[in-house]
Order: sequence, then structure tokens, then C-alpha cells
Amino acid sequence: MTWLVWRQHRQQALAAAIAMLALALFLVPTGRQMHAAFDDLGLRSCLPGAGPSEALPSDDGCTSLSEQFSGRFQGLATTSLLLLFLPVVAGMFWGAPLVAREVEHGTHRLVWTQGVTRLRWATVKLALVGGGVVLVAAAYALLVGWWVAPLNDATGYRFTWLFFDQQGPVLVGYALFAFALGVLAGTLTRKVLPAMAITLGGFLATRVAVALLLRPSFLPSQRRVYPTVSGPAAEPNQLAGDWVISRAVYSAQGVKLTPGSGSQALCDQATAPSCVAKYGVGSYNQELFQPADRFWLFQGIETALFVVLAAVLLLLAVRLVRRRIA
Amino acid sequence: MSGAPAALEATGLGKRYGRTWALRDCSLALPQGRIAALVGPNGAGKTTLLHLAVGLLAPTAGAIRVLGGTPGRDPALLARVGFVAQDAPLYGDLTVAEHLTMGGRLNPRFDQALARDRLGRLGIPLDRRVGTLSGGQRAQVALAMALAKRPQLLLLDEPVASLDPLARREFLQALMGSVAEQGLTVLLSSHLLADLERVCDYLLVLQASRVQVLGPVDDLLDRHKLLVGPRRDPDRIAGVAAVVRATHTGRQSTLLVRTDGPVRDPAMAVADVTLEDLVLAYLADPSAGTLPGPAAPASDPLEART
Repeated sequence: MTWLVWRQHRQQALAAAIAMLALALFLVPTGRQMHAAFDDLGLRSCLPGAGPSEALPSDDGCTSLSEQFSGRFQGLATTSLLLLFLPVVAGMFWGAPLVAREVEHGTHRLVWTQGVTRLRWATVKLALVGGGVVLVAAAYALLVGWWVAPLNDATGYRFTWLFFDQQGPVLVGYALFAFALGVLAGTLTRKVLPAMAITLGGFLATRVAVALLLRPSFLPSQRRVYPTVSGPAAEPNQLAGDWVISRAVYSAQGVKLTPGSGSQALCDQATAPSCVAKYGVGSYNQELFQPADRFWLFQGIETALFVVLAAVLLLLAVRLVRRRIA
Repeated sequence: MSGAPAALEATGLGKRYGRTWALRDCSLALPQGRIAALVGPNGAGKTTLLHLAVGLLAPTAGAIRVLGGTPGRDPALLARVGFVAQDAPLYGDLTVAEHLTMGGRLNPRFDQALARDRLGRLGIPLDRRVGTLSGGQRAQVALAMALAKRPQLLLLDEPVASLDPLARREFLQALMGSVAEQGLTVLLSSHLLADLERVCDYLLVLQASRVQVLGPVDDLLDRHKLLVGPRRDPDRIAGVAAVVRATHTGRQSTLLVRTDGPVRDPAMAVADVTLEDLVLAYLADPSAGTLPGPAAPASDPLEART
């Protein structure tokens, strides 16, 4: 079996290696640039001091350095969002054809009538190709993790949407899930192209649903309150890396004054009258957030969620292969 | 037949797709050591029966046993059954030699030398990718792989459909040669009755999802006669058990009959039938059968004798 799996999938393995190499050719030089700039600007020495503090004055110097850094590499940060879609490739090009192409070409009738049961064929094939997916995704996650580190530290965004999704072990979970979804879709449709389409749609829908609906409440969020009017303007330290889920202005009586979940009001002594006029005396800002030190915990929870989903889909696919197809 | 299990044995076997029965109430026993022809119109259930026998499908009703075991779940049984599916599917981007390697990796008794020798004699280059071979060459590669498993039962689904007449004859000769060497049982579906007559010694006719005719070819040919004579009521001819098919012109009747003794009627000219005559006569009349056809009694002398 192992020989056959390698023979059938070596081209995919080669394609994956070439793609990784091409990606490295882009990520390594730009990553080195970012790491160098990070050191040159002095962010490395300034951030650890500013990082953990709850609030900091807006002119502490580190903030402006950080703005300088993210301004310079904003293009790269935006480009890197394209990489968000990468894990679905494992599902579309490795998962979907795994069973569907055999059925399309009729070769399942050849390989399932050799001296190996379908169960063994399916388990060996899924284990080896799935193992390949995990290896490639892990290598990719390490590379991107190194690349994105300066952006993380300089902006404090790594816990927020899109940044959380493009680094860390979740990438392995996403890739494995996409692979399993592709295998199951191909087993159900028995056609490669529809299976690829279902994989793409199903992957995006699941990812969006988990990120928007489940992730914010993996653990109860924490609450932080700070006044709208303060002495030297002081807002929560953005660079600390907390994931702010919602933020609004409340009156002294605790009535929510701003619509939606993204407003805050900050006045210093000079502008205080405008804040008071607008929100009354004693108004305050309230944030719901997930603290930065839960980043790896959340990565772990989301990875586990997608790995479990993948396992369920793969079990279903094996059942179908054993019972349904001829 | 005593002691050895039937090569293929079905009892009340049925397979349903959605609401349609592809095969129904199928009971049969194919003894070992035969080359059996599986004949029937399109959609009669031939492919379904073969897929059930090799374990690609699971029965909806009844049971099927192959070489004494239940097909599909047992790798040892899979290794003892050779199968070439319709259109001889192979991996187009693997070479012939790689297919043989695959066969060797997946089957415990795979005979590389046998396969290489066969393909060498047929002039099929081992280093060619299978996708570049002709349809006939692919069929030969698929057969070589199936034979190299050294199976006890070989199931072939329309193996000669894609071949020209010459290649067809060569293919069937090669098959017979291997059967003689290896002493295996073959069940072979085809529409080409003339070809089957040359090769097969056992006949299984499927019609409308049911078994219509089953028995050794010699017996069947012995027991069926073609009678030509003046037009008359066939029931009163001595020795005629049933009329399978009757065609009449103004004054003359041509009857294909199943006999239960010598036909003694001076008015009738008695002639032997060919396998093709016999099969076509039965296919033309779905209600006729030498069992277990729908209109036939529960126990037929022909079947009882096998």
C-alpha cells in the first residue's frame, strides 16, 4: 500500500515542495527586512517595557515607533492576508480527488479488488496523505510564525481576526480539516470538480462561523472600564496584544450611549467640555476583551476543534468507502 | 463437485438501487473448474452480479458465497479472486511495470514472472505508461494482472468488448491457455455469443434481473433441438418438454424446444442448436426458462443434475 500511495501522490508532494519553496523565496527576504527594521527602530528594546502595562500615555514614543513600523510594512501585512486561503488548497487538491478521481476513472474497481480490503486501503491512504498534509502545514506554520513575529509585536494585533488565523498551530487544524472535508465531499459526489467546489465553500463557511461565532466566547471575555475624561490622555495599551471584542461609551448611570461595538471617547483636560457635553458627567468607556496571554490557549482550542471535526469527517468518509461505493 | 465449495453460490440474492432491483431472487451455484458465460441484455444485472461476487457491492437481500467465503471483507479471499472490471480500468499515468509492482505489493501470491512473460509474448512494452496503450493492450495488461494473482476464480466483465475480432480471438485463446495451466474457474460476461460458444462450457443467462438459464453447455445443447416441420400444435410431439420459441410461416413451423427424451416425429426435421440460437430464443421470451425463471417450477431436472 505504502508504495502505491507514494507512487500516486509523489507529484502532489513535489508540487507542495515547490510551492513551499516559492513561498519561502517571498517570505524569507521580506521577513529578514522586517526583523532588521524591528531591531533598527529600537522596537525590540522599547516594547517589552511598554507591553504589559495596562494603560500608557499616547506619546510614550514606543507607540509612534510602532506606527512608523506598521506604516512601512502595511503593504506586506495586507498581502499576507492572501495566505489565509492557503490551507483550503490541501482540501481541494489533495482531499477532493483522493476517492473521487478513483471513482471517476473506474480504478477503484481495480484497486479495491486486489488482495487488500477497502478499509485498509482507506486507512493507509488517509494516514499517509493526511500525515503529509500535517507535515506541510506545520512547516508552513513555522515559516509564517517567524515571518509575522515583528508585525505581531509592533502592532499588538496577533490576537485579532485575520492575524490570529494566519499563524500558529491552527494552520495545521485548518489544513487537516480542509483535507478531510475534501475527502468526504469526493466520496459523496464521486466527482472531482463538484467535490473541490464543496470543499471551498464548506471550508470558508466553517472558518467564518467558528471565527465570528465561537472563537470570541471560547472563554468568558473580560471587562475593562476607563473614563472618557482623564488627566494625561490614557487609553488601554494597544500594544499589549489584547483582543478587543467590543467597546462602547456608557453614561454614569450605565446606559450604553454609542451604537455598535467599536466606539470610544477620549478627552484630555482641554477637550473635556466636548466629552461632557456629549456624554454627560462621569461617562466611561467599557471594553470586552480576551487578554493577550490567552493567545496560545485559544490557538489550542481552535486547533483541537478543527482536528476533531476533521477526524469525524474522515471517519464518515471511511464508512462510505467501505459500504456504499462500487 | 463433492467436497469443494461452489466457485460461486447465491441464494435469494438481490441488489436494489433506490427503488429499482438490479438483481432479484437470484439463486445459483457455479461449480469449480468451469468457464462460464454470463449472458443477458443490457441492464439485466450482469455487472451487478459480478460486483457482488467480488465484494464491490453488498447484497440488499439474500447471500452470496465465493469459494466458500463471503466476498469483500476478507483480504485472503480477495487475493483468491481475480477481477477485470468493464473497460479494464488501470492507472493511466502508471507504467505497465508499475502496475505489476502494485499487484505484487497488494497480493500475497502475485506471480511477477507469469505476468511479465505473458506481456512479453504479447509484445506489450513494460516501460510504457498505460495511458498510451491501445484498448486491446490495456485489456491484456488487466488480464495479466488478474491472472498473476493466481486466483481460483476469475471474474471478467465484458473483457473483449473493446477488442477487434482478431485481438478478441487472441485474448480468448490466451485466457483458455491460462485456464488450462492454472485450473481455475472463470465467469465471463459478454454480448458476443459466437465467441463464448468457442470458450465456455457453462451458461448463465440473466434476464430482467433474474436467472433465466443455468447449466453446462453440453447438457443444454443436448437437451434443446430445433424442429422444422408442418404447422401444428407443438404440445403433442413426443419428447418435447417445452417450446422455448416458435416461429410460424404459412405452412411451416420452426420450433426451438427443450426435450425430455428423443424426439420421434416423422413429420419434423430435428436439428442441433447452437449456443447462439439457444440464448437468443430464451432472451426473446423472458417467461421461458430452465430455472429458476419466474414462470418455471421450483426444481428443474437440468439444475438438479449439475
